[in-house]
Amino acid sequence: MSEPVTIKVDGKEFEVRPGELLIKAAEDHGTYIPRFCWHNRMKPVGMCRMCLVEVDTGRGPMMVTACTNEVVDGMTVDTQNEAVQKAQEAVLEFLLANHPLDCPVCDKGGECPLQDQAMAYGPGESRFVEIKRTFEKPIPISELVLLDRERCILCARCTRFSEEISGDPLIEFQDRGNKTEVNTFPDHPFSSYFSGNTVQICPVGALTAKPYRFRARPWDLHMVESSSFFDTAHPRLSIHVSQNEILRLVGIDSEPVNHSWLSDKDRFGFEHVRSENRLDTPLVRRGGELEPVSWSEALDMVGNRLGLIVEESGGDSIAVIGGASGTNEDAYALSRFARTVLQTNNVDATMGEGPSAHFLAASIDRGLIADVDDADTVLVWGPDLKETHPTLYLRVRRAAQELGVNLVVIHPRVTGLDDRATATLRYRPGGGHELLSDLSDGSHEQVTSLISGKVVAIVGQASLADDPGLAESVAAFVREKAGTPRIIPLANRANIYGALDMGLAPDLLPGRVAYGPEAAPEPWGEIPAKRGLDTPGMLDALSEEKIRAVLLVGADPVGNSHEPELASDALDLAEYVVSIDTFLNDSNHYADVILPAAGFSEKDGTITNLEGRVQKVNKIIPAPGQGRPDWSILDDLSTVMGKSMGLGSPETIAKEVAAVAPAYQGISWDLLEWDARDGAVVPLDGEQPLTHIPVRAKGTKAPSAELLLHQGRVMYDDGVRLRNCHYLSRLAPGPVAHIHPDEAKRLGAREGVAVRVVTSKGEGEFAARIDEGTPEGVVFVPLHQPGAARLGTDPVVRVTVVT
Amino acid sequence: MGLLSELWRGLKVTGSTMLKTIGGSGLVTTEYPKEMRHKPQRFHGRHVLNRYPDGMEKCIGCQLCAGACPADCIYVRGKENDPESPVSPGERYGYVYEINMLRCIFCGLCVEACPTEAITMTHLFEMSTTNRQDAIYTRKELLMDESGKVPHMFPDDELADLDELNTADGWLRATAPSGVAAYEGVQMWQGTPGAASWDPEPSQEERDRASEGDDG
Ligand code: SF4
Ligand code: SF4
Ligand code: SF4
Ligand code: FES
Repeated sequence: MSEPVTIKVDGKEFEVRPGELLIKAAEDHGTYIPRFCWHNRMKPVGMCRMCLVEVDTGRGPMMVTACTNEVVDGMTVDTQNEAVQKAQEAVLEFLLANHPLDCPVCDKGGECPLQDQAMAYGPGESRFVEIKRTFEKPIPISELVLLDRERCILCARCTRFSEEISGDPLIEFQDRGNKTEVNTFPDHPFSSYFSGNTVQICPVGALTAKPYRFRARPWDLHMVESSSFFDTAHPRLSIHVSQNEILRLVGIDSEPVNHSWLSDKDRFGFEHVRSENRLDTPLVRRGGELEPVSWSEALDMVGNRLGLIVEESGGDSIAVIGGASGTNEDAYALSRFARTVLQTNNVDATMGEGPSAHFLAASIDRGLIADVDDADTVLVWGPDLKETHPTLYLRVRRAAQELGVNLVVIHPRVTGLDDRATATLRYRPGGGHELLSDLSDGSHEQVTSLISGKVVAIVGQASLADDPGLAESVAAFVREKAGTPRIIPLANRANIYGALDMGLAPDLLPGRVAYGPEAAPEPWGEIPAKRGLDTPGMLDALSEEKIRAVLLVGADPVGNSHEPELASDALDLAEYVVSIDTFLNDSNHYADVILPAAGFSEKDGTITNLEGRVQKVNKIIPAPGQGRPDWSILDDLSTVMGKSMGLGSPETIAKEVAAVAPAYQGISWDLLEWDARDGAVVPLDGEQPLTHIPVRAKGTKAPSAELLLHQGRVMYDDGVRLRNCHYLSRLAPGPVAHIHPDEAKRLGAREGVAVRVVTSKGEGEFAARIDEGTPEGVVFVPLHQPGAARLGTDPVVRVTVVT
Repeated sequence: MGLLSELWRGLKVTGSTMLKTIGGSGLVTTEYPKEMRHKPQRFHGRHVLNRYPDGMEKCIGCQLCAGACPADCIYVRGKENDPESPVSPGERYGYVYEINMLRCIFCGLCVEACPTEAITMTHLFEMSTTNRQDAIYTRKELLMDESGKVPHMFPDDELADLDELNTADGWLRATAPSGVAAYEGVQMWQGTPGAASWDPEPSQEERDRASEGDDG
């Protein structure tokens, strides 16, 4: 790196990196230069002129914008002399020439940079007496965002965000001169998964979010830092609460994770927290009806019954499904409860989805999100990141677009990253293994040649038709090609990585340790020796009546299953089903006892994201009614069952985890709250207790049928949390089938007409979407849509137009 | 010696006041509540939420009063106006408005904070209740009706003079709504709740005309 340069700002001299923007260099050294348009995470434009300062580089003082000028050695900068003050006053007077004075009704009032800077740097009085320009008061530019053009100061933050960061350039300036306004393109609503960010960065109240509109003012909000439970990257955010109700979430600029951005699902998904459908009291099924009971009654009932079953038939007759929706402390409590109290190894947090637990938890050379920034090549062979892993999507997009990283995207259809990819490859649903062997045999030279140097491989299940083991095979292939690539294995559930790290898989123990009775953590005592079953195994065992009782923890095997009848028949056969959850779900139909759990923002704890970063999440509101955190429910159950775990509090659990889970050594709340505010990647010393080396599996070929079904997750679906969000629940596309225009012609389908989609496992009616992005011979159906039939995993499909 | 003379001076005041009271002219104690003492114009009594002459509510639910209140006793929630039948001018109105009179210290900061003069204070201070709930004044008790009549928690209260509800703390404003510099610092007063009584500011055209007149 080149030599630092010395600059002098307001008489203070300091050294800064050459090439740094003056506004940033000054801020890093304690001098705040006012600004509207400049944003740390976007390119400068110099639109607002608020950052004018007087600079002398030896040629005499000049007035320049600090956001567009780089530091130069020997530069002297004056940020507050009379000339600068006059300039600032003039800029503000001009900005306010058209800005309405509706601060009292404006959502931004009280935290508005324009308000603040008008107070701090403004002239106090305006000479403009002309009538201000007016526009129609707010116009909706998307389902979630309103635009009040009167208030806009044309700083281009929103337009730059959509262009530079999210890649949906749907909001732009229109017209010229005094008539300039931001707006969406006619006929194109601002349909972005990231629209909420524009609200956060707009320096005035021109862009406001519908869910927050008029609901509070900044001064009656309490806030606490936390992380999102939707995206498995766990973007950092701040929860803003008034009167015990979450009113909004605001992204926090976390360098290793989310750079302050949040997807709309992460930002507005909090609405489910205060849904009236939340469970708030223990329920017991009596005569087919669920009746509210007291905690002590419910716990006694469950404890005694489970105890009896363990005594009669042993722990193998109990299944524990779920555990990925809570904190690490909840997961640890469940892991310990299952092994020591229920005496079973039938535990599975993955619900039988995606890559194997060993690969997810302990893959060798696990990559970090930030690794994509300085990679030579990023390979994405997995789900469409824009739909499923928005934080990672933004990072990869930035790497490809701004940092010159090669990007290879392999997916059955077009993905959100394709427009920035150096190379893309498509394959027929189910044909992943075939393509992989072609690649290793040397075909697609232009793609494989990119897989060298520093490679980050982001792998996951791209299509339901793909073998879940494909991701691991891809990782193995990349290791053959590129030596030591960084591997980021993808999975979907909220805290799945944390749950696996706490041992919620039949073959894992806390701290990334392979299961074995001799490896049991100290305080656990003896644990069962027999290898447990994964979710499909447990459901099979249920159908064979080898399992008598099921404990569901934030899990809905019926709702999640691609063949729901199998799951519901299995649960129906269970003798006793206990569910710990925040909402009633499809599986709870079979539950004998339902215990209300505390959810997001209602409990303290830690969570672990897809790169193994542990972050602290915080409680700010109480759970509705009598809801309690999972760990405390399990702790009480263990006492009823006579094998008290004595867990105490989330903090003492975290201490226990740090003591007994090798990968979590050194992780403490103090560390996460003070020294490692951005979280800490485990293991802290980098030494994996268990290193899983990806193996290449033999796979099947794609079926040779003419038309194949590709099913993949999309951002908005019928998940129980989203279903209970007022605004987001309307955004799910519903039952739709994407087909290529030529394919549509062949079928005689037009946009929107009903088509019948038939597979070997299911059939249903879907609305046709004519879509260039889906290749011919493929039908794309988004997974888990409200009102959509489940089609199973077999890709062979028939599509006919409903007449 | 000194002490005695000081004592004498003090007792002289006591004595003369005593004599005055016997004479009746300096009587301070009155037969409250039959007889009420005069209150200064800016007396801080219970609050009232005002309306414009056309019946629209002035409160826009901005929560500035709640933010300014040092006792944290105001609870406001805003909501979007239905454009077809708006409650207040503009986009937003206060659909929840509560003041906990047990906590209120009658400082009047809420009145000063209000950008629309929606909340002002009256001269009535008789608000004793027998339970805490009744001390929380909601829109029902605070908001004047469309004819300008101010409701009271206990309309039959014999001890209170409900006329006092029509005497308001005069409120002041230091800037004009459109920000005209000439109005800055000019205090405006009104002695009753309800609509403003001062002349509206001249329109832009009128002002332009006036300044042309100056030139010509
Ligand atoms: S809407 Fe906001 S962010 Fe966009 S240009 Fe206007 S002021 Fe800037
Ligand atoms: S008078 Fe003072 S204490 Fe009472 S409500 Fe108003 S601001 Fe609060
Ligand atoms: S009374 Fe005034 S300050 Fe209080 S919410 Fe209403 S308009 Fe705002
Ligand atoms: S911040 Fe520099 S011109 Fe806007």
